[in-house]
Amino acid sequence: MADDAESELIARAQEGDHRAFAALVRRYQDRVFRFILRLIGARDEAMDLTQETFMKAHQALPGWRPEAQFRTWLFRIAHNAALDVLRRRERIEFVSFADLPAGEEDHALPDPARQPDQRLADRQSIELLERTLQELPAEHREILLLRELEDMSYTEIAATLGIAEGTVKSRLARARSAAIAGYQRHSGDNRHE
Amino acid sequence: MNDQPTPMHAPDLPGLSAYLDGELDAEERQRVAIHLAACPVCTGRLAELAALSTDLRALPEESLGFDLAGVIESRLAAAPRRTVARRRRDWWMGWPAAVGSAASIAAGVLMGSALVTGSAAAAPRMAAMRVFDTMPPGNLCVGLESCYVKGSVK
Repeated sequence: MADDAESELIARAQEGDHRAFAALVRRYQDRVFRFILRLIGARDEAMDLTQETFMKAHQALPGWRPEAQFRTWLFRIAHNAALDVLRRRERIEFVSFADLPAGEEDHALPDPARQPDQRLADRQSIELLERTLQELPAEHREILLLRELEDMSYTEIAATLGIAEGTVKSRLARARSAAIAGYQRHSGDNRHE
Repeated sequence: MNDQPTPMHAPDLPGLSAYLDGELDAEERQRVAIHLAACPVCTGRLAELAALSTDLRALPEESLGFDLAGVIESRLAAAPRRTVARRRRDWWMGWPAAVGSAASIAAGVLMGSALVTGSAAAAPRMAAMRVFDTMPPGNLCVGLESCYVKGSVK
């Protein structure tokens, strides 16, 4: 949510104040980088793309209106830039939700009742979850990142991705189901290794 | 979502997911809460969704590792942006060039159309030289009829 200080920075940046725009970059650079990195998976490319995102934002800034949240507007630019990269790599997968294996929704994370600090305490668990994320279709991965890492509301996610709120609700549920299934599958693989 | 779970009960995943996120309105939320109290299948599913959420939020936070803002500021300083105000001033400052361009184009069209219609481009009569006659130009012509062919030179 844009506070008064942020609104002031945006207004000054729109007038051509580079220092004000740099302050906005400083506010968001790590969050935008994290989102892009987890979306495309390559650190160097994510660094370049983060910079490109802010340069594009600067170019588009005269057209920004206070009705739009700056954060969702910025993440939409990042989302478009990341999707371009994924398309170039031909890694993007648009799967029909109806094509998901029937059993996926019934899988469970092992021992979900454990405490948070116990759940991801070991490196192996983190790697499993990172791997699960990277194997998800891009549209599942990004909606999970926006909800869980950016803590965006459904309204904000809808504005960022340019989709209806109803679609956010159903897509997020599918993404979560697929992530749980993937994690369970990898956990099973590890137990057999 | 039914209040009385059946043996084949399939959880309403979008409903549970939105319940977890606090995205249901009061009425829906209450309905799901009542159902959860009576349905161990959905309660278990909700626990799985909550566990995933907890795990994702606990992933290590990557950071860029340098001050990108400084880099961006340098790039912007090297290539100053044309602001909206600047563009507004420019439209009338470009008038002389625009008028000049329009005049050049109009002149080109005029000249081109004159060539096509032929009205202003009548070809001058050229004096023909009889370079292929039997007698070179300037020589005396004595009694040869070919020297006096009517209409040979107009």
